[in-house]
Formats: sequence, structure tokens, C-alpha cells
Amino acid sequence: MSPTSGNAEAAASLDDVLVGEAVLGVYRQMFAALARDSGAVVDDPELVDVAETLLAAFADAGEEGLSREQMRYVCRRYSTEVFENRLRVLKGLGAVREVFPKPNQLRYRASFTSVVGLMFVRRMMLDGGQSEMHRLLALEQLNVADPRMTAGQARAGAEGLARAFRLWSVELLTLTNGTIEELREQAPKLWGTEEILLRAERLHGAILRRWPELDRACTDLRAAIYAYGDASRRAAARLSDSAGMTRNLTLLPPETWRTFARTASRDELAGVLDGFVFDAPAPWHEPSAVVTAVEDGPRTTPPRPAPPRASVPDPGLSDDTGGDATAAERLREVAEQVLRGRDRVAVEDLLAQDWVAARRLLADLSSVHLHPELPYRLVWSDGLAARPDGLPSWVTPGVFERTGP
Amino acid sequence: MSADPPAVDPRVLARARARVLGVPSVPAAEPAPPGMTGASDGERVWLLPSWPDAATPAMLEEYEVAPMPLDRTGQARRVLAAALRCCWTRLDDAPWPGGPAPVAAVLEVYAGMSRGDPELARRWATGELRRLSDTGWLLVDEEAGAVRPGPRTALWREETLGTLRDLLRRLPQPPPEPEPEPAGDGS
Repeated sequence: MSPTSGNAEAAASLDDVLVGEAVLGVYRQMFAALARDSGAVVDDPELVDVAETLLAAFADAGEEGLSREQMRYVCRRYSTEVFENRLRVLKGLGAVREVFPKPNQLRYRASFTSVVGLMFVRRMMLDGGQSEMHRLLALEQLNVADPRMTAGQARAGAEGLARAFRLWSVELLTLTNGTIEELREQAPKLWGTEEILLRAERLHGAILRRWPELDRACTDLRAAIYAYGDASRRAAARLSDSAGMTRNLTLLPPETWRTFARTASRDELAGVLDGFVFDAPAPWHEPSAVVTAVEDGPRTTPPRPAPPRASVPDPGLSDDTGGDATAAERLREVAEQVLRGRDRVAVEDLLAQDWVAARRLLADLSSVHLHPELPYRLVWSDGLAARPDGLPSWVTPGVFERTGP
Repeated sequence: MSADPPAVDPRVLARARARVLGVPSVPAAEPAPPGMTGASDGERVWLLPSWPDAATPAMLEEYEVAPMPLDRTGQARRVLAAALRCCWTRLDDAPWPGGPAPVAAVLEVYAGMSRGDPELARRWATGELRRLSDTGWLLVDEEAGAVRPGPRTALWREETLGTLRDLLRRLPQPPPEPEPEPAGDGS
């Protein structure tokens, strides 16, 4: 050991303090969203929501930053006390800071590190770190392939992963020996898929190939991976033992159910449906559907055309036969009554009565005119007589006349 | 079996049994449980669900609701038509109760209706006959080799039967049965 290094260890220089302070600053910013005050973690999830709302608002605000009032407005859902408290903590930990560090600064900006930290935390909440493990393994794999990677870094990575796998399997084992309900709830977040084990083993192989001198760290990593695989399998076995009684199909991965279905005895399979009564509706064959099926079916002979008939129920012949002898007779009577033996009569004379009756008469006369078999017609002139006092206030002169016998 | 819970209304039990068993038949003397209609052929009565407002499941189509799923509906219905061609001989009457007809005749009619290998068609039709019998659309007596319309046909409304009657008149004739020989259907 050289005296200089002994010296450096004994008394930390100002540079060392600066480096340490920088590291601490990153730590503080990263977990500012989770801090209750500068010394403790939040005890209410709402406090994290405040931080998230604020950070989102800062992202929208751009380089201008936000003033204190704007921040308060964004967080109007939360009480003033909560808001002030959060702002103080976030400022204290450096997640939110002044645009320029000088007194009476009104505008603030947010730190990038805090957002990333919060994203990471949310993701961890979702799956308990399983996908984080996937990412870490993938990243580590990339690092190992990187020519700039040193043996020391590889060793640190392998040791970190081994530690993570160890802790992971310990947690899983604890759960496996605990109550089944807890296992059910927590295990899906923890137990591994084949893929994660495969990936870890591949990484282990890559490290060992490139730095054979790291065999010690690699042995640790391998043992940790296998321990984790065993813990995972034991948890699954415990669950599938108890799963025979449950119908919650999301409890186990689909592969396990498939294996169960393939290997279970008939009684075990039938036991799943104990206590169920099946009351499925019978299929219904409507007569028209039967007809359609037969007519659409493949056939040897060309189809004989069905007589044209509606597929809806036939109500039979209607009472209205459509014969108009009676109607024609009535119209002839009307016409004769109007003419009263004459051959022609002026229409305006006929209409010189109550309009309600007159218009009915006019309609009848039009029908007489249009009826092809009745020998009468209406002839209109081109004039128009205005009668301001009359009830039809205008009338076109015309005659109703007989055209034949 | 039913010694312990005597409080359950026997009619409720009968209804539950009827729903679980599909289309059970009881002696005609027994009352039909509530919510079921009986289709009687004189000695026995088959219990069927009664539809509200006399609507049939065909109503589902109007409401664009998927009906009970069924495989190869077309084939099942063609076999049903073939069977009715043989057992519903007096077309002016209602299809229920109809009369028994030999299964072989039904298979013959079906083979005549469809294209392709007649032997294969007969085998398909046998399967469909069993399925139709399970769901109460036909009554198949496999030992006697006889088939007759099922009680569910009693639920068809009279005014919907017109086109079906026309269709059955146009279907191929069942073969005449000079000597009824149902020995072809062993098992």
C-alpha cells in the first residue's frame, strides 16, 4: 500500500466530498416523489399522485417552467396543506428547483431524474420487478457484448444479478411456506418464466466465455439462478396442489392447466364441475330455417322452382276485392245529381255553398272526370276569378259536362 | 334421497328435473310443472319450456342475438326435413304427434336429397338423427328402427308451417315399405 492511498482513505478531500454530494443529489432527485419529508418515505399514495401531476404539468410547460400559482392551479384537486408540503419536499430534494438559483425566483423547473425514477417506481408496482429483471438481463447481455466492458464491471454485474436472484428466491420460498392465499396473491409477480431463467443462463455463459477468470462470480450467479428456478417450481407445485379446488384459471400459467388437463384422471377432471347443473337451451329449428336449409343444400337434381309465395304467413284473400262497380255507381249518382238533367253546369255555381261540403263535391267531380268508364268530364278555362269575399277566395271558371249517353 | 328437505315444492323439483334432463316424458296423468307446456301423444306427455308471449327462439334473430350455437345446422335441418317427410304423412294436420316411420326410409330420403356418396350421407344422417333425438326434435327408437316427430315440433306455430308443408310435398318420396325390415340398424 502506498502512503498516498493511505492518506486518501484517512482524510477525504474536498473533491471526494463533492463526488459524494453529486451521487447523493441523484439519489435524492430520483426518489423525491416518494419522500414524505427529507428523511422518510411517503405514507399516503396520494402524495405520489401530487408529484406525478406536477411533473406532468412541468413537461407540458416547456422551458418556461411554471410559476408557483400555476403549480397550485395544476394541483387544485389537493388541499393547500398537502400541496405546500409536497412542494417543500420536492424543492428540498431537488426534484423541483428554481430556473435560476437566485432569491425571489418565481419560476420553477422539474428535474428529469425524478420523472424517470417515478416511471421506474410505477413499473415496479405493476409487476413486482419481474419485467425489470428482464430489462436488466437484456441490458447486461448487451454490456457483455460491448468491447469496452471490463472484467471488473462484468464481475459487479454478475454479483448484482446473483444477489437479486438470491433475494428473489428467498422471498418466493417464504411465500411458499406461508399461507396459500398470500402465495396466490403474490406469487404471479414473483415466479419466473422459463424465459427469464434461459436469459440469465445465457448471460452467465457469455460472461464466463469472455472472462474465464470470473468463474467464481459466475458460479455464484449460476447457483442463484438454479435456486430461483427451484423456488419458482416449488411455489407453482404448491399452488397447483391447491388449485384442484379452485376455478380461478388465472391462478396458474396456461401451460400448467394444459398439463393438468392432459395428465389428470377422469375423476379429477369431472371433480372440477362438481355442483354444476347444465341447462343449455336446446337448438331451435324454425320451419322457415328448415326450408332454407333444404333449399340451400347440395342436391343432385336441379331445384324445382317453388310456387311463388311469400315466406310470411298468408292471411288469405282480403275482403276488398278491388271491384269498383259500387264506387262507379256512386260517382254516377253524384254526377247526375249535379247535372240534374242538364248537359253542362258551371263549376263555380256548384261551389257556391259551404266550402266543407263544396270541396268534397269537387273531389267527387274530379274522380268522375278521371274515371275511364263514366261519360262526364271537367273542363277548366284559363281565367282566374278573384273573390275577396268568397270562401274559396279565388276560383277558376270551368264546366262539368256530359260527354256521352 | 328426498327425505331430508321436504319443504321444496314438488312442482319446483319437477321443473328443475325437466330442465336438467332436457325433454323428459312423464305419464299423461301427471301435471306439468309451472313454466312448462306438455306435448302429449295420448299416453305420455313431454315437458317443454313454454316461451313468454308465445314467441319462439326465432325471435332472437329479429333482435340480432346469437342463437344457441349448433354445428352443421344445415345438415341437421335437412335430416329433420327428411324425417318429417316420412313421418308427417298427413300434411294438413299438425306435425305432432305424427306417425312412426322406419329409419331406413328417412336415410333413403336424405340420401336422395343430397349429393355425393349415398353411403356417407346415410352415416351422416344417422348421427344427426341421434342428435335430433337428444334434443327432442325427433323420437328415434333405435331398437325398432323407427322414428317419429319429436315433441318440440309441437311448439311450431301453425301459421309458420305453410312453407314447410310446401317443401315436404316437393321432397323425394319415401320408398314404399312392402316388407318392413329394420334389421340394417344393429348398433
